[in-house]
Formats: sequence, C-alpha cells, structure tokens
Amino acid sequence: MKPQQQVPRNALVWMIICLFTLMAPHAARIPLWILAIYVFSAVWRMLVYSGRWSFPGRRVKILLTLSGFAGIYLSYGSLIGLEPTVALLLTAFALKLIELTSRKDAYVLLFLGYFICITEFLFTQDLLIVLYSLLNVLLITTALVALHQPGEHQFNRKTIRLAGIMLLQAMPLMVVLFFMFPRIGPLWAVPAKSQTAKTGMSDFMKPGDVSRLSQSADVAFRVQFDGEIPAPSQMYWRGLVFSTLQEGAWRSLRYYDVPVAERRPQEVLTSGEPLNYSIIMEPTQQNWLYSLRYAQAEHLGVMAAADFSLFLLVPLEDQYRYNVSSWPEALLETALSDWRRKTELQLPAQDNPQTRQLAQELRRGVASDGDFVKAVLNKFNTEPYIYTLQPEALPGEHPMDQFLFRTRRGFCEHYAYAFVVMMRAGGVPARVVAGYQGGEVNPVNKTVIVHQFDAHAWAEVWLAGQGWVRVDPTAAVSPERIEWGLEQALAGEGSFLENSPLSPLRYRSIAWVNLLRLRYDALTYRWQTWVVGFNSEQQFQLLQNVFGEISARKFAAVLLGSWALVLIPVAISLLRKRATHQLSTLDKQYLIFCSRLAGVGIDREPGETPDQLAHRARQAMPALAARIDQITSLHGDLAYREKAGSPELETDLLRQFKKVVAGFRPRKGQ
Amino acid sequence: MQLQGVIDAAVAEVGQVLLGKEPQIRLALCCLFARGHLLIEDLPGMGKTTLSQALAEVLGLSWKRVQFTSDLLPADILGVSVYDRNDASFSFHPGPIFTQLLLADEINRTTPRTQSALLEAMAEGQVTVEGETRPLPDPFFVVATQNPIHQSGTYPLPESQLDRFLMRLELGYPHPRAEREMLLRQQVTLANRDVLTQRIDGAQLDAIRSAVGQVHASDNLLDYLQRLVAYTRQSAEFEVGLSPRGALALLESAKTWAVMHNRGHVVPEDLQMVLPAVASHRLVPSGDYAGGGMALIDLLQRNVDVIRP
Repeated sequence: MKPQQQVPRNALVWMIICLFTLMAPHAARIPLWILAIYVFSAVWRMLVYSGRWSFPGRRVKILLTLSGFAGIYLSYGSLIGLEPTVALLLTAFALKLIELTSRKDAYVLLFLGYFICITEFLFTQDLLIVLYSLLNVLLITTALVALHQPGEHQFNRKTIRLAGIMLLQAMPLMVVLFFMFPRIGPLWAVPAKSQTAKTGMSDFMKPGDVSRLSQSADVAFRVQFDGEIPAPSQMYWRGLVFSTLQEGAWRSLRYYDVPVAERRPQEVLTSGEPLNYSIIMEPTQQNWLYSLRYAQAEHLGVMAAADFSLFLLVPLEDQYRYNVSSWPEALLETALSDWRRKTELQLPAQDNPQTRQLAQELRRGVASDGDFVKAVLNKFNTEPYIYTLQPEALPGEHPMDQFLFRTRRGFCEHYAYAFVVMMRAGGVPARVVAGYQGGEVNPVNKTVIVHQFDAHAWAEVWLAGQGWVRVDPTAAVSPERIEWGLEQALAGEGSFLENSPLSPLRYRSIAWVNLLRLRYDALTYRWQTWVVGFNSEQQFQLLQNVFGEISARKFAAVLLGSWALVLIPVAISLLRKRATHQLSTLDKQYLIFCSRLAGVGIDREPGETPDQLAHRARQAMPALAARIDQITSLHGDLAYREKAGSPELETDLLRQFKKVVAGFRPRKGQ
Repeated sequence: MQLQGVIDAAVAEVGQVLLGKEPQIRLALCCLFARGHLLIEDLPGMGKTTLSQALAEVLGLSWKRVQFTSDLLPADILGVSVYDRNDASFSFHPGPIFTQLLLADEINRTTPRTQSALLEAMAEGQVTVEGETRPLPDPFFVVATQNPIHQSGTYPLPESQLDRFLMRLELGYPHPRAEREMLLRQQVTLANRDVLTQRIDGAQLDAIRSAVGQVHASDNLLDYLQRLVAYTRQSAEFEVGLSPRGALALLESAKTWAVMHNRGHVVPEDLQMVLPAVASHRLVPSGDYAGGGMALIDLLQRNVDVIRP
C-alpha cells in the first residue's frame, strides 16, 4: 500500500470517537446487542492497530454481516421500516470499522457517518439534538482532516481547530442553501415510524384513557396568540369529536359512514374580532389538529370536518405549524338535520339502564333542555363525586351505572361520558369532545405550552337557538381543574406526574429550574418557527417578499447569485493572499514569458530551472531558439549574476528584458 | 578559465579507473574542494575504495586506509604514546589519521566510541591524545564508506553524526557499456594498475578554494534555497528537516559547483545538482512516508518552485 493510502493513527482515534458519539443518541432506540457490536468493533480495531489481532478474513466478514441482518430481523421482526433500517445502518457502520485498512475505507466510513448524523432527525428535531449533531459533524470533519495529516503522530487540538475553522467557513453557504435551495418534496417516502408508545390522543376513548395520558409531561403543542392570551378556563382545545358509543368506547364518525350531504360543516355566521393564533404541533402520527372553537384555518391540506374540528389528509409525521382564526362566540349548527339529531341521540339499547332512568326522571322534572343540563351538573356538583387521577375500574356491562351509583370517583372522561349518556337518554343531542384544556403560559416569549397532562374530555350539547354549546361536567365537580390546571386539582392527591420523577415540570417550585425550563422552551419555539417550520411555502413567501413574483428562471438566478455572493469574498481573500507575495518586476516578466510558452503547450514545472525550460522550449520550437536563449540568459544575468554595474545599467537591462519578453509571441507549430 | 581545464582533467583522470561515473566523481571533487568530508554508501565491490584512492592520487595527497571493524579502538586511529627506553620518555606514534586523505572503510562496522573519535577529529581538524593537541595535516579529508545499514552487524551512524559529512554519495551499478569496458581491461584491483597522474597541485587547490569564496549568490537564489529548506521543515513527508548547518552546506556546495563550471555566480541548477548528495542523509522521512531517501529529494525538488512560491 502506498503511504498516502494508510490511515494515520490519530485519524483512527478520531474515527472511533465519532463511531460512539454518532451512535449515542440512537442508543435508547436500538437493541442492546448493537451496542455490544460497537464495543466489540472498536476493541478489535484497536487490537489490530497494536498488532495483536489481524483483520477479519472473508468468511468472518460474511458471517458478521449475515448475523447483523439476522439479529435485526429477530429484534424488529422485519428489515423494512424506519427503525430496522437505521439499526442496519448503525450495525454496518460499526462493522465497517474492523475492515478499515486504507484511506478509501475511511472515506466510506466517515461519509456514512454524516448520513447517520442526519438519520437522528428522522426521530427528533429537538434543539439539543441539533447542537449535538453539530458536534458530531465537527468530529467527523476532524477525522477527515486527521486523515490528511500523515505526519501528525500526536493526538492534538490543532486538528479539531482546523476542522472547526473549515466548518465556520462553510457556514455562510449553509445559510444560503437553507433559505434558497429549492425544497422539493421527497422523491421516496421515508418509512413511517412504528412507535406505538408515543403518547397522545387515540381515535377512540374509553374510561381511563385520558387519565393515562395525564401521566405524561410531553409537550402536545405550542400556541402563539397574536393578541391577548385568553384565560385558561376559556382555552378548550378541541381535537376529536366522539359521536358514537359502541361497546363502552366513544368513537368519532367515520367519514364514509356519514351521508354525503352531512360531510361538510354547515355555514357559520361569525361576528366580532377573531382570536388569531398559530400552533406548532408535535408529531402525533394522527390526522386531527387542535383548535379553539369555532376555528377556521387558511392552510393547504387542513380540512374542516362536519363537527367543526380540523384535520389533515395525511398523518402528522413531523412537527407541523398552522395558523388559525377562532370565533369563540359563534353559533354552531343552529339547524340540526334529522340524520344528525338521530346520530347524536343514539345510545346502545340495553346499556346503563339505571343511568337512563335517572336521566329521564330528571328531564321530566324540568321545563327545558337548558334546565336539564343545569340539573345534571347540579347533581355532579352537590352530590359527593370526586375528581381523581386514580379512579377505580368500571367492570361489567353498565359502566356508567357503576360510576354514577357506586364508585363516584372519576376523571374528566368519566364525567363527560356519564353526562353525554344522560343527555342523550333525556333526549338532548350531545357528544363527547376530546382535546386539551388550559396550558402553561411561558412568560419568556408569551407562548402557551400545552402538555399531554392537559388532556381533557368534555361535552357539547345541542340546544335550540344556541346550536352546539360546550358543557364541561368536570368543572362542576372540580372547578380548580379548569381554573388552575391539573396540578392544583390533584394537589391533595399527590398523583401529578408521579411516574416521571425526572421531569423538570415536577420541580417548577424551584425558581431557577423553572426559569431555565421556560427559557429553553422559548428557544425551542423559536427554533421550530424559524428553522424546523421553514417549508417550501414559507420559502416561497420569503423569496416573493424579497424578490417579487417568482419564476423558475428568477429562482435559479437568485440561487446562483446568492451562492456567488457568498463565494466571491472567499475568492477575493484567496487572491489577496496570493498577491501579498510581491512579485518583482523581473519575476513578473519572466512569468509572462512562461505563460506565453504555456499557451503553446510548454508548461513550466515548479521545480524546473529557467535553463531546463529553455532547453525544452528550444526543442519544441527551434525557430524561436535564439529568442528563447536571449530571454533566458537575460533573466539569468538579472536574477543570479552579481550586480556589477550601476543601477542605471541594471534598469536598462530590465527594460531590455521587458522588451524582449513583450516581443515574444510564439504560435503553435512554430 | 584555467581552473576549469584543470578540474576537467582531474575528472577525466579519475574516470579512467572508475568508468562511467562522471557525475559522482564531480560531486566527490566538489565535496573536497568545499572542505567537506565525504560519505560513500553502497554495497561492497562498487568501487568505493577505488574512487577514494584515485581522488588522493589526482590531488597528490598522502593517503591511508583504515578498515573499520567492531574491535577497532580510538587509539588504533589516532595513535598512541609509547615509552621509549633509550630516551626514558614517551614518544607519540601517530595513527593512520595523520594523513591528508583518510579512507575510513565500512565506518558503520565499528563501535560508536571509535566512530565518534573519528568524527571529532573531522570536525575540529585536530586530535587530542593524552592531553596533547596535535593538528592534522592540511588539507585533511575523510572519505568514509558505509554499507547500507540493513546489513547485519552494523552500528548505523546517528543523524547528528551523518551531519558531519558534507555529502553522501551512492555509486550504483555501472552502466553495462562501462562494465563491458572494465571487463575487457581487467583492471579491477588496485595492485595491477598504474598510479594516476596528479592533476591538481596544492596551489591550484588553494586557487579553487579562494574562488569559491568569491562566488556570488543572488537574492533570487537565496530565496530559492530558503524555499527548499522551508519545505523540508514544513511538509508532512519529513520528520526532520534541514538544519541551518544543512542550509550552509547546500550553499557552500552549490558555490563550489559553480566554480567547477566556471561561473562567478550560483544558478538554480547548481543547487539542484548538489541537493541530492548534500541533503539526502540529513533528512529523515516521517513514519508514514515509505518512499526512499532519493525519492524524497525528488519530491522536494519537484515541489519547490524555482521562480516564486
């Protein structure tokens, strides 16, 4: 192997460091045996370096590769999908190290490293991960630099500094590319994540679902209001509307089960100033979006359902930002169609007989539907019902009978469930709404952070003349939940986030922890708004704002122009650097002579002396031999001979040299 | 000029016994004119001894040869004081070093102790035995030969001592045509050949040496020399670059070369001609560079621009 092809020791050390730092963020997601492979590969490679082991043979390599595949198949049950693919890549990355012999192999490994660095973003785009990835890029670049420092035997900071400088120099180009490069949709689909453990609402609701969700301190979404932030008790983030009750679970209507005429929302008369806000949602793998009622979103791909909720046509795989206008006072669906009335009154015929009987009795005792609502809420309020995160299970066929007459302990979904069953039994159209309620206002940047533990379920009833009206039975049981949030409502119980001992939210009472958390959240919001959320639409808008109407040609011009803008200073500084070596008139003139020779195909080699060049030139162009000799000998006299004569003589010679060079115009074939 | 004719005649004279090696003969003469010591490194039987003896003969110098072995002691070279019973005093018996041209054959076969005794004498031009300092004759040249170090039973000279030699030459195998001529003449051993005519006398040697002092090295040339030296110090292929002494040696040799070619000033060719002989033993390639010493010089010469950086 040629010496240039060897991998220097310090580059190897950097590569092994890269190997582990690149794998680290994936560590929690991949099976343990892949971690073992990393250690195994690193140890093997180091033993190879120290000469105690040898490189693996062909058979061993094939065996390792096949067992890698087999291991991933056994661990994931498939080789296709995002996680198995990434795991495969990580395994290959580690195994490549032990067959790394030449510089070419090192290139493969390091460029794969850049790619692995990107795969992390398929899972999370958190700000800290971005910073960590920058560190990784620095380390990989350092390894690449070290690969080209064969003389450096010491493992030193010089290498990393050089890599850092190179990356900083690349920064302007990166910014230009970020803003200017066309954001073409993916040509192939990234396999969807198969995480089922992701917390969030699901498309049906059983008693206990929301309380489970309330254990999580994850962020569901962040909201930025254009104006004043409404009171927490007014922030009911509608997500899903559940209209059918089947086998003890509430479900939303399926699109195709709805008659065609009922698929679109009715016209809503809006009045007054709307609340304008934008929401950045964390990925949910689901279609629906959250908003305050009554919401309109002017966004490509955001649809409005007949129940006035918003949804997307494709599941939410990445963070998504959308702008919404809401009119909280608008009247929804003042005229109820027969089909919808029937649907919103439906109850399974045999379930919960006691509850139905109670409801019918209460309805008979009051004059109007509105009073009936009040009567039921009054019952929740005055009788000993308890709001708790630890309700008892409700076994049997009649869960609401169990809840209302026996356990009397429940979370929001229990009360919403019971309330809607009673309403429907009493002949009032009603449905369950699932979403989030409240949110934490971040004083740093005035965003509202809605966590998973803000998950909530409430009810909507249809009253003549008012349309759909929100009723929150939980408010009748535990007004604190609505006014102050879950933590206060459960203060006596101590069950708030009891399963997440490390969540910074638990340490809110420590002022600096809280401030740090809020600051970081504000930074995350900004990051999401400006970087993660910068999509083709926003790019288009930005370019349009700056450059006016955009055409393909103009776009290309802008793109190339901005590249030029970044690269021209680089070019200038490079040229400057060269120009700092002041060439003497003599050298300048001689180089003109050389460039004329180069023009006819006689290039001067760096180590070639004037005489050697002249010799070659004479042979190539015998006709000009005399001229070439004259120039060369004049140059030799001026450059190397002792200056015997007066300065005037010297300048005279120089002038003569200039003249001869100027007159030297060789042509090809002369 | 007269000197050039003398030098050419000397080269031709040596060329009679060492066939087809004119460049090496010229470099060896250049080394001696520059008051330097010469190291010839090659396999046995390549004409190392022939060259050194021929040099002594054409220069009309006294000549001695020491075969270095592992049991050679410093006193074997420098000389010893012996008690004279008649005079009842010690008298100094000078060693073989007291000569004008010393051939130190296979210098790397002896122990470092003896090597350093020789090298000290080379550097200082005098020897000190038993507290008495005795000057060596003038001119004093050492032509040392050395087998390539990967042969067994050798004590390779350290870099610091290699630096004492102005030049290192490799003779190499003769050209087939030259070898044929040699075979026809059957003049291989020293014993059966005639002594060469002296071509350069003491006065001429002094003239050459004083001419070297007059040679002009222009700024342009010194720039080139410094670029060469800087390259060996900065480039990754070199573990150790040229020392300031190496740079001086380079300039001195180039000046001598210029004189030998009848020029009053140094041109880049002069530097390039002496560069391999002067620099190759002073440079240490870095651990990751696997090319040979000469390839290294080639690289140096190709990468450093003669005209400008």
